[in-house]
Order: sequence, then C-alpha cells, then structure tokens
Amino acid sequence: MNFRSIERIVLYNEGNSEKLEIEEITKYLRQMFGKVPVDTREKPFTLYPEKSLDYARKLASIRIHDVRVETATGEEPLYGEVQYEHRKILGQTMAFGVLYDGFYLQRVFSELIPAGERGFDIVNIFITNRLLATWEEGERRYHLRTSVYGFPSVISTTGIVEAPARPREYYLLKQQYEALGKDLLELKEKFKGSFIDYEDDRLTKVMKGYAVQAVFYAMTGHPFCEDKGCRLYNAHWQEEVIFAQLENEYEFCPRHTEYLKKMRGT
Amino acid sequence: MEKFSPVGEKDVTRAIVTEFAKQFEEYVESDCIIVGAGPSGLMAGRNLARAGKKVLIIERNNYLGGGFWIGGYLMNKVTIRKPGDRVLDELDIPYKEISDGLLVADGPHACSKLIASACDSGVKFANMTVFDDLVLRGDSRVAGVVINWTPVSALPREITCVDPVAIESKIVIDATGHDAQVVKKLEERGLIKTKGFGAMWVERSEDLIIEHTGEVHPGLLVCGMAVSTTYGLPRMGPTFGAMLLSGETVAQIALMKLK
Repeated sequence: MNFRSIERIVLYNEGNSEKLEIEEITKYLRQMFGKVPVDTREKPFTLYPEKSLDYARKLASIRIHDVRVETATGEEPLYGEVQYEHRKILGQTMAFGVLYDGFYLQRVFSELIPAGERGFDIVNIFITNRLLATWEEGERRYHLRTSVYGFPSVISTTGIVEAPARPREYYLLKQQYEALGKDLLELKEKFKGSFIDYEDDRLTKVMKGYAVQAVFYAMTGHPFCEDKGCRLYNAHWQEEVIFAQLENEYEFCPRHTEYLKKMRGT
Repeated sequence: MEKFSPVGEKDVTRAIVTEFAKQFEEYVESDCIIVGAGPSGLMAGRNLARAGKKVLIIERNNYLGGGFWIGGYLMNKVTIRKPGDRVLDELDIPYKEISDGLLVADGPHACSKLIASACDSGVKFANMTVFDDLVLRGDSRVAGVVINWTPVSALPREITCVDPVAIESKIVIDATGHDAQVVKKLEERGLIKTKGFGAMWVERSEDLIIEHTGEVHPGLLVCGMAVSTTYGLPRMGPTFGAMLLSGETVAQIALMKLK
C-alpha cells in the first residue's frame, strides 16, 4: 500500500452532540499518527458570519425530501427552510432531523476550509450531526451514510445511529408498534445497548475509528478493511459497529497495525 | 317541579339567527383566521385571543378538536412528550408519566379542556365551514379566506350551486393537518412549492415541526402537521406534544407580526 504523506489533520466540529468529546478524538489521532499535528476547529460556519445566510440557503437547497428522488441543486428552498438552517448555523437551535445529500454537503463544507489548506497533504474532517445519504444510481434511491470520505471527509454522529441497520427483530417489532400507535421509545428501551443511540456514552469511542478511516482515505485512498474486528471495517449493521469499534480484543488488524507503526516511526 | 320559560319556535329561531348573524358580521374582518380546529389550531387561537386578538377558527367538521380526541388505533389515550407537559399543566389537564419524558392523558379530557380554554379566551368558531380559497392582495399577500358550508362542498356543484363568501384578516394560519389545504391552495396558484411528506426519521420530527413553524408566505403562517407537509418533514405517529407547542409557537410569531 502506498502512502501519501500528510502534513496535518484538522477536525472541524459542527457541535450539537453533548456526548461527543472532540478532544478525546484529537488525542487519539495524535496517538495513532505520531508526529502529524492535529488541530480542532469548533463551529466552522461561525468563522464566516457575513456569509451565514448564503450558507443557510445552500444547506436548505441540498435537503432530501424523498429518498427515491435525486436532489437537484438550483431548486429554490422555502423561506422557512432557510431560516431553520440559519438558526442552526448560528447555534440558535439544537434540533436536527433533516436529511442532506452527502456529496453536496461535502461541497458546502469544503467552502469553509481556508484556501491554503485545501491540498491533499492536509486531512480535513468535518464532524456533524446532520444526517447524510448518497444517491445509488443502480437502485435509484438514496442510502443513509455514516460517512462520506474525500477532500474533505464528512462523518455524521446521527449517521452512526441511523445508517447501520439495527437487529432484524427491532424492525419487525417496529412495524407492529407503528401499526398500533405505540411509542417507539419503549421499543428502543427493549433493545437498549444493541445499537448506538443518540447521546450514547459510547459515541466518542466509536467516532475515533471513523476518524482514523478518514485519515486512511486521505493517505491511501482505502478507508476500509475486510477484517470484521478492525476499526476500519465498513460496518453495515450496528452489531458490526459495536464489535469493530468497541468490543473486539484488538483495535486494528495486524496489517493496519503495521501501517500505523510505520506512520509513527515506532 | 321547575318549569321551562314559555318560548315559541319563532323566538328560538330568531335568537339563533340574530346571534349568529351578529357574530358573523363582526368576524367578517378579524386579526387572525385559523383554518383547522385541531390541537395546534386551538392552541394558537387560544394564545392569540388571550393576548387580546380577534380570532376566528374555521372548522369543516361539526366537532372541534381534530384528532386530539383519540390516540393511535382509535384508543382514546393521547401521548405527549416533554416539554409538552408545560402546556398540559397550563390547561390543567391531568396526565400520567409513563416513562422518562413520555406522558399519557385521557383524550376526551385533554381535548375538551383545550376547546374550553380556547372558548374562554374569546376565540370564535365557524364550524361546518370549509376553506375554499384564499383572498390575495395585489402583492400576493394573503389577506383572508373564502369559505362555504361543509354540506355544500360535499355535494356535486351542479346540485348545490352555492357561491362561497370571503372573510378578511391580517393573518391566516394553516392548521389543517396533513392536508395543508391553505398552503396547497397557494401552490395551485404557483406562489409556493411544498415538499410533501418525508418518509423517515420519525423520532426527530417533533423538534423539526416546532423549528419550521412560522410564516411560509407573506400573511400566511403554518403550524401543526401542515408544517410537515409544507417542508417535507418526517411523518409523525400519534404524539401530540409537537402539535400543542407548534400552536404556541405560531401564536408567538403571529403576535410579533400583528404588532
């Protein structure tokens, strides 16, 4: 595997998740990648207050309203949608629940990176609580994503909760609960622990693995590993996330452990 | 045994006609017309009237309250999530906390208290009345609604052939639930494009409904489930906290606009 050398890692934190300890992730990346400096920038939209309404308009226009319809840019968003995005940018609301086109969101985030820091040698990672999906041409529908890797990479805290599938039994029971009008909170209580939930204490630990995936993408073009116990495993089920990120006895497979050692020069 | 006052049929009829006509004439012009007397519309009307505004609620059914009488599967227990308890306390509606943050109340009790509170605050109602169209001013600002009797709209036009009438207000609120009838009428005229229902992420829809409650077009505000249809937010299950709080929010916004 060929490495592209990296000069720096910058973590942009959009905030909005109380359980996410960004400093812990920064520390972890420093441990993993040795000499590479790791910086954190909080609430990146607030770096450009004069453009906040413009960004709000862009975010409002990349919403997914129907997972079977590919989002087209250029459609005029509604006034209320722009206002909501503006309040979110300004930190005036903690509410979330809107679904965005992941690739377009990546483009909006890329505008927040200072011009001199957009090269391949700097790994820019945006951590957000916006939920992302990407369009699958073959199936003609959107699929939820935990992360979209690229320049920059985007990792979604809500994506960690919503994108990997929960146990099959959960969905079967959910159907019944919905038909009966029963509250879904009760159902979540039943399956507590078997998936990562909102404001979950385990979120920071899980996020560490996804941040490392983003760095591997920048260095090698390959963020994933086929070893189900490696933190670079591309998990599609919650139980796989929990196993790879929290429960397995080793963090990285022998091959990736070697790469990391080489990176650190240890 | 107590005796009823001797009143003739003509006196009864005259009392109904006189009082109805007097109120109707007075409310041909008001501060705010709310279309839909479900929980969000009632809550909005109540708070606006309490602030001294002249409010008329249009309701197509004979009964008020919309879906607030019953919860899911026709079971008459309604669920409300915190911070909806604030409204329940304000309306003096008894409830039980089932689990952390989840409250359940008796549907008929909750609904009748809300209706009573709206009436006590001074809201007037035009029930059995359907919203037919919008009154628009030159700059396409919404300035009232066109209404008709519900039975008229239920029959073919060839049979009924009854023209509607228009009433005016400074602000109109769409509280028609999933149908978003008022917003849809605006869409028919090409003045807005709604997003339809979002299919997913039920858990987060309550927060989003409150966040998107407000003005959608000059003169037209939207609250309750109509917000969901307008903005393509996730469809919600039978939990009413967001409806009550959305009504409260839209009243606050309307009050600012009416200043």
